[in-house]
Amino acid sequence: MKQAVEELRRQAAGLLKEERVKCVIGWTQGTDVARAVPFFATSVRQAARLTWTPFCVNNLSKYLLNHRYDNTPLAVVVKGCDSRGINRLVQDRQFVRERVVVLGLPCGGMLDREKVLRVVDPGAALQEVEDRGSEYMLRTDKGEYGFEKREALLSKCLECEHNIPVVSDLMIGPQVPSPAGSGIDRFAGVRELETRDPAVRSTFWDRHFARCLRCYACRNVCPACNCKECSFEQAVPGWQQGACWLSKRNHPGQNYLFHLIRMFHVAGRCIDCGECARVCPVNIPLRELYRKVMKDAEELFAMKTPGTDPEEVPLLSTYRTDDPEEFS
Amino acid sequence: MPRTGVFVCWCGSNIGGVIDCPETAAAASGFPGVAFSTDYKYMCSEPGQNMVIQAIREHRLDRAVVASCSPRLHEETFRKTLVRAGLNPYMLEMANIREHCTWVHGADIQQARIKAVDLVRRAVAKANRLEPLFESEISVTRRCLVIGGGVAGIQAALDVADAGHEVILVEREPTIGGNMVKLDKTFPTLDCSACISTPKMVAAATHPNIKLYTYAEIEKLAGYVGNFEVTIRQKARYVDHEKCTGCGTCWEKCPTRVPSEFDAGIGQRTAIYIPFPQAVPNKPVIDREHCRYFATGKCEICAKLCPTGAVDYGQEDLVLTEKVGAVVAATGFGLFDWSRVYGEYGYGQYPDVVTGMQFERLVNAAGPTGGKLLRPSDGATPRTVVFIKCVGSRDEAKGRRYCSRICCMYTAKHALQVLEKVPGASVFVFYMDVRTAGKGYEEFYQRAVNNGTVYVRGRVSKIYQDGERLVVRGVDTLLGRPVEVDADMVVLATAVEPGSGAAETARILGINTDQDGFFQEAHPKLRPVETHTRGVFLAGACQAPKDIPDTVAQASGAAAKVAGLLSSKWLSTNPMIATVNEALCTGCFLCVPVCSYRALEPKKITERLPGHPPREREVAGVNTGLCQGCGACNVACRAGAIEVRGFTNEQLLAEVDALCQ
Repeated sequence: MKQAVEELRRQAAGLLKEERVKCVIGWTQGTDVARAVPFFATSVRQAARLTWTPFCVNNLSKYLLNHRYDNTPLAVVVKGCDSRGINRLVQDRQFVRERVVVLGLPCGGMLDREKVLRVVDPGAALQEVEDRGSEYMLRTDKGEYGFEKREALLSKCLECEHNIPVVSDLMIGPQVPSPAGSGIDRFAGVRELETRDPAVRSTFWDRHFARCLRCYACRNVCPACNCKECSFEQAVPGWQQGACWLSKRNHPGQNYLFHLIRMFHVAGRCIDCGECARVCPVNIPLRELYRKVMKDAEELFAMKTPGTDPEEVPLLSTYRTDDPEEFS
Repeated sequence: MPRTGVFVCWCGSNIGGVIDCPETAAAASGFPGVAFSTDYKYMCSEPGQNMVIQAIREHRLDRAVVASCSPRLHEETFRKTLVRAGLNPYMLEMANIREHCTWVHGADIQQARIKAVDLVRRAVAKANRLEPLFESEISVTRRCLVIGGGVAGIQAALDVADAGHEVILVEREPTIGGNMVKLDKTFPTLDCSACISTPKMVAAATHPNIKLYTYAEIEKLAGYVGNFEVTIRQKARYVDHEKCTGCGTCWEKCPTRVPSEFDAGIGQRTAIYIPFPQAVPNKPVIDREHCRYFATGKCEICAKLCPTGAVDYGQEDLVLTEKVGAVVAATGFGLFDWSRVYGEYGYGQYPDVVTGMQFERLVNAAGPTGGKLLRPSDGATPRTVVFIKCVGSRDEAKGRRYCSRICCMYTAKHALQVLEKVPGASVFVFYMDVRTAGKGYEEFYQRAVNNGTVYVRGRVSKIYQDGERLVVRGVDTLLGRPVEVDADMVVLATAVEPGSGAAETARILGINTDQDGFFQEAHPKLRPVETHTRGVFLAGACQAPKDIPDTVAQASGAAAKVAGLLSSKWLSTNPMIATVNEALCTGCFLCVPVCSYRALEPKKITERLPGHPPREREVAGVNTGLCQGCGACNVACRAGAIEVRGFTNEQLLAEVDALCQ
């Protein structure tokens, strides 16, 4: 991945130097060996701190929203899955495509931080990463470590649909093979939940939602959640506070409503970047919830994963005169 | 604090006979915001309304709840009462304790009493949060578009035109007249169909207020009630109707022969043709698909023979727009294609198995046989004729589940016509039921029976050709035994279905279709000629299967509605429509495609926020003329920026809250 990192830094520096963009949104090495954090490079010098490792898991497209109403030209670095977020924002008319330079990175998959930290000392300094197709080789100052992709990748990467960004202005680094395991059912998790008895399934979600802290991290990280003011934060008359069906109260029933309403708000729009589940501090398997809708949309209406095509119309806003209307 | 008045109506014994209205009124007096409550035998009556007005004045009420019947019935009445009392008409909420309570829960009085109180509590909760709403006015273009030149369209056009308004009549076929002019005679009087429809066609074509477009289709309808703009495509006729005199030389000499649509495929026409001799306009068009010149580049016989040089192969479709204030859809019906599914009747392979419409052309004096009843295969006179009813109607498995309404009567008419034209003929009718509701209809049916028609109750299971005869096998369910008839000809009463292109027309007009594909009226009883799109009305069989008297009656009804709408230069708009909270709107415009009335459009606003320079951005805007207040956008808006006035989230949640207490 050394070649890609160098090219990324060079391109970013070029964009900043020519003042084509005010800021390049990318990642830089985090506080430990298995962490990369979002980084906003605004000068050529800062561009040299950008990095690209199998820990660059954050979807950076969401950060574009911070600039939706100003005119600053920006560049953003995206992986395949994140690139669908660009399309999401453009389709939702939250960002003008021409205002952003999309730097696409072909991605060999993201390593599961926890699995890496079981082997590698967190304090080690990451020197180089090599993508060998079926495994990653991490070179640190404390030794070399090999990680079999099949074993150590995030589960979403094993279900990867687009490892090459679907939208980009500049493709950076060499093409790499998709980390998706052959013969893997993308919706295996959803299917497994579907086979459960409704009562069991209900208890499953009840127990997860009861643990929700209402921290809204899932919402804040989601590129499909781009309302100006979230319905959960809108000022409501006093008599509704805490008693109404849309409340901020942390209570199992209210949490249930929060998650289901969020599910409907992203239905047909969720780009399946998996960030919601990653950021959840109590590990609610949110991704499976949204993917249930995605799976149904795919099976019933042959909808591609939202964000795949910049021209598509979200499922729930689609009206086709030749719809068979099987329900009438 | 609101001062709500609650008025509980007995509706005679409709409500008062089931629940105790004084008790309900007493219960309501304890609800939050209620300053006064009472009950009365007939709240909608003159003394009842006066009581409401008096209570409003005496108790300084600023809003009212009327607990009575459906708002569909009397909401308008009580709104006017509020205006007379000096209140905003929209400060009224109705609690439907008749249809929703006493009529359906009469058997369980105790529960009905509880439910009535709950429904009143709900209405009070909403009333407490009502806001005054104000109507605005839009101008009206005093012209009307009528789509379809059948008897419905002609009648509607004539009535509107006689009322003094200009009418644009658009017909997609080369002639007006529709299906009625194809018929030979009309039941139950047996008068000649052409004799009563052709004069109407001429009247429509020559009326000074009617502008006629034949061989034209509507492509687009933009705008809203009072201010529509319709795009019409005048299809190329390849004949200049300005020059053409209708002399007929061209269609006499045209070498191409194709089955005539007007004759339901029984007769033939040429490639340059008029559909029938009495067509209006009586000038030909060229059927490009079959014309020899367009196929091979050679021929041009019509152009050479035309004395006025009217044939113009280079003519192109013309797209024009017209401004109108109202639209009448009178697109008529089509007939069920039985040959696709009825294998037992031979899939259309036997030439002597014909449809009712083909039979009409066979017995029509202006038809291909000159009115002689001759069977299609060999031109012999059929001695035994079998009629089969409900072919495609009332048949969920193969066709439509509804009754086509006209077949019983026209089959009786056909039976009489066979008996009259072929003395000594035997006529058998296989039927499921005989339905003859209508003035003089039962008598007409009895006449067919008395004249010797044999009615056999049962379905036909098979028809097959045996030499020159058709063997019809069926069952007589009244006798409980199989029957077999050797017939010379079989006539199928095929189902009436929506005309071809009805779904597309509905889409263009922004109106709904019902489950069978007919246009949906706004209310089956109280608003039968209106649609949910204001300013669009329905006439004739495009709404449901209808016979000629009903079609003409509905067309005149639609015309009366149009005349009412166009009678004034100004129109007040419904204030209960969507509004956009521009601060919340993100401008994603996902509401735009869900609006079936095309009432939402992007709009630029300048936003000023503290600490930021003013910025321009796009948000959704509601066209108050187009919006019908259906609320689809309300649901589509994730940000919760759209609300429907009179049905705000706050009001609805208060209602739910009140019901859940």
